[in-house]
Amino acid sequence: MISTLRQRLNIPPRGEWRQRIGQAIDNRVRIITAGLSLKELRAVMRGDPPTEKPNPRYKVITTSFIMHLRPRYYMAASTRFAHTFRLGWFTTFFFLVELFTGVILMVYYVPFPDNAYESILAIESNVFFGELMRDVHRLGAEAMVIFTWLHLFRTYFTGSYKGQRTFTWLTGVLLLFITAWLSFTGYLLTWDQLGYWAITVGSSITDAGPVAGPALNIILRGAPDIGAGGLLRFYLQHVILFPLIAVLLISIHYYKVSREHSISLPASVEEGDLPKEEKKDATKRIDLIPDLLTHELFLASIGIFLTLAILYFGLFDSPLETHANPQKTPLDTKAPWYFWWLQGMLKIDPAQIFENMINPIIGPIGSIFGQTWQVELSKLLDSKFIMGLILPPALVGLLMAVPYIDRNPSRLAKNRKFAIGWGIAWIFILLALSYMGLPEYGIETPAATRIVQDLAPEEGLGPLREIPHEELLSGIYNVEDYDGNDLCPDLVYFGGTLDEVTATSWIVGDQEVLITPETAFHDEIFEGDHIIVQSFLNEENDLEANYIKQADHPEEFVTFGCPHLTEVFNQFSERLMHAEEEGDLPGMEAYLQVEDFQANMKLVIPHVKWLDEDGEVQTYKVDFFLHEDGKREH
Amino acid sequence: MKRVQLEIVLGTIFVLLSAFIMIDLGVKEEDRLALSETSQRAEQIEFGAAIYEVNCTACHGSHAQGLPGVAPCLRCEELFTTRLEEVGWDGGLEDYIVSIVTKGVQVSTRPQFIGGGSPAMPTWSEKFGGPLRDDQIRAVAAFITNFESWALNPAAVPTLMAEEVDLSDPVSRGRAVFVSLEVGCNACHAISNVSTGIAQAPALDGIASRAGSRIPGLSAEEYIRESILEPLAFQVEGFDPIMPEIFADLLTPEQLEDLIAFLLSLEE
Repeated sequence: MISTLRQRLNIPPRGEWRQRIGQAIDNRVRIITAGLSLKELRAVMRGDPPTEKPNPRYKVITTSFIMHLRPRYYMAASTRFAHTFRLGWFTTFFFLVELFTGVILMVYYVPFPDNAYESILAIESNVFFGELMRDVHRLGAEAMVIFTWLHLFRTYFTGSYKGQRTFTWLTGVLLLFITAWLSFTGYLLTWDQLGYWAITVGSSITDAGPVAGPALNIILRGAPDIGAGGLLRFYLQHVILFPLIAVLLISIHYYKVSREHSISLPASVEEGDLPKEEKKDATKRIDLIPDLLTHELFLASIGIFLTLAILYFGLFDSPLETHANPQKTPLDTKAPWYFWWLQGMLKIDPAQIFENMINPIIGPIGSIFGQTWQVELSKLLDSKFIMGLILPPALVGLLMAVPYIDRNPSRLAKNRKFAIGWGIAWIFILLALSYMGLPEYGIETPAATRIVQDLAPEEGLGPLREIPHEELLSGIYNVEDYDGNDLCPDLVYFGGTLDEVTATSWIVGDQEVLITPETAFHDEIFEGDHIIVQSFLNEENDLEANYIKQADHPEEFVTFGCPHLTEVFNQFSERLMHAEEEGDLPGMEAYLQVEDFQANMKLVIPHVKWLDEDGEVQTYKVDFFLHEDGKREH
Repeated sequence: MKRVQLEIVLGTIFVLLSAFIMIDLGVKEEDRLALSETSQRAEQIEFGAAIYEVNCTACHGSHAQGLPGVAPCLRCEELFTTRLEEVGWDGGLEDYIVSIVTKGVQVSTRPQFIGGGSPAMPTWSEKFGGPLRDDQIRAVAAFITNFESWALNPAAVPTLMAEEVDLSDPVSRGRAVFVSLEVGCNACHAISNVSTGIAQAPALDGIASRAGSRIPGLSAEEYIRESILEPLAFQVEGFDPIMPEIFADLLTPEQLEDLIAFLLSLEE
């Protein structure tokens, strides 16, 4: 009876159940993995050889869309770490990181000048993991630029652009500039002073171009100055146009590698006289599944971990300056570091250099004939035009043409001495130009301005913001009167969590003890029921800091004096006096004024007076408002 | 151990470490958001103070103390207690300030101030022809409302450049007049150690040494007296005639004498 029911309902006999379920699961696994059985998957994880014939691991590559983009294997030597350093792989990894974090940031970002900066502030203070996403996006962008450059140099030095790989090299050079441009367009989106002025200065280069220059500038900026139109244009380039172009070019670049010529073998394997055994080892196949794929997942886990660890330990923080202000040019306009070489080039005026060389020679010759001979080349040639518009594209052209210029078929370093010399020379040229691109190079800032700006820069933190709020005791601190002692020995304040306490006497045991600077200065230590008075002397026997700690609440303490203010003022004074000795600030008089402006905000004014060349009194002063909860060095 | 296995093990460790970082960041994230909001608010107030200093001090004084006969005090109790009710504003104080700064005051409820109350304050928003962006106006409002604790508790306000008044000394009394909220010379004039002043008004350091040579025939004392009582009689080169002609009525004779005594003590 039972058996007929089983038969009628088409239920298999008991023993077959396990087998059938196993088979069903196996089928699902095969579908998901595009061809690998459960048993095979286990073998893959264990590093065992394939369980079936033909090798099911190759089947994945023909059936899966994603996997069909990948090669089936590389030759062993071309996967050596010291050959590729995984630079191309990490570039792609960071491109994907950028896509992921970028899409999340797009949800919160508003590409309009009225709201752009505020939306960034909101991402930092109102979006869960918002700051993390922004930091990863920024760090990933820097990393992508670095890895692209390194990848280029690696390819150049191993001679991997030769033969079949010339077109791949071309797409790679294009990708280098697309990467830089993607990063550069992202700069403007924060709509802060940093981005606004970097883009303003950067895009002004196009303005110098002949005929179409001004028109090109308008197309790029949307208006003579960057405004709503310019921001939208840069935004669309950053989130749609160039990511699409990058995806297309990366696909072409990668397809060439995976389907046409593979990763280059080390030159020593390809051309060198290796023993047969060794050559066989070097050219043996390493399959994508499992070896290369597990290696890539391993690299991804390292990439993710390092990125997060760098942010976790506070080694990187994406910068955000104050709101963009077209009316206020910052003291130091700084291009992103990967364009410093370009900024450095713009500081060179070739026409001027030529004039300086030629005029002292032809001038005297002209005077023999009673004529003034003088070359005025700089009137004809705009240096911005040459150094900004002619030379950089020429350099890009040169870089693209490398495989066509270098006709040497050998990839061995010993046969490419000239090419490798060139490569090293270019590294030094780029470093030197980048150094010249720094704001410190070739731009003179008046001494007083520089010293005050270093004390409290327009943007960022600076020493003034390192001083704890409580130490900013109101008063005038004269550089002339400064004797090296603590500036406010009578200052007593409470730190830690005791916000409301204003008394200067504490109960020790049953006894009320009046806390005065003397008690601490003389290094007395009370060990009463509740508090311990400690003072710390530094190596020069000067007072460093005094604390009265509550034994049971060590985080609540009273502090005397203002060691941080004293230290900062000391540096300020020393630099000013040094500048006076150097003759930059004759007749210098200076003071630091601190005022209680609001209950929780101080006004600090560094004030410098000096005599200029005509004996006129010049003054430079800047007002800094410092709120108790404002940005501080931690 | 084969290389594949080693990589799987190490990769798993890295993924676990990354997960640990994410969890730890996630636990601390709420606190970080709160801290970030506090510090952004503080930066907004600092930013607002800087904008106030450039745009508002000429009428409302260097420390928002207002100028008698020109513009009201913005750090006084009235603004924080009765003003909203007086004008029938239902929203918060910060929004009120944003609204006033944005659109200006065309007809004032307080004729004691500049122009008899009409026109009173110009429009400041760039939407209405002024120079300021919305976020700048909000920053100014944040800065003004940050005066609240002092406005409601004047006893907590430290004297400017803290100095005790010696009632027997006319110079010390005059200094007190100079910095008082009612007279408020310090709203515009800078004196080292006393006030920061504003750029549109001359600094008074060493005025006693200069005053005697300003107008032929007038001694230093006479010149200072005339300058206070009839501000437009003489203009220092490089400055516009913006000093209000109200001090003849505002100052008591004793206050005037004390003030002159104080200014005469300011020698080079």
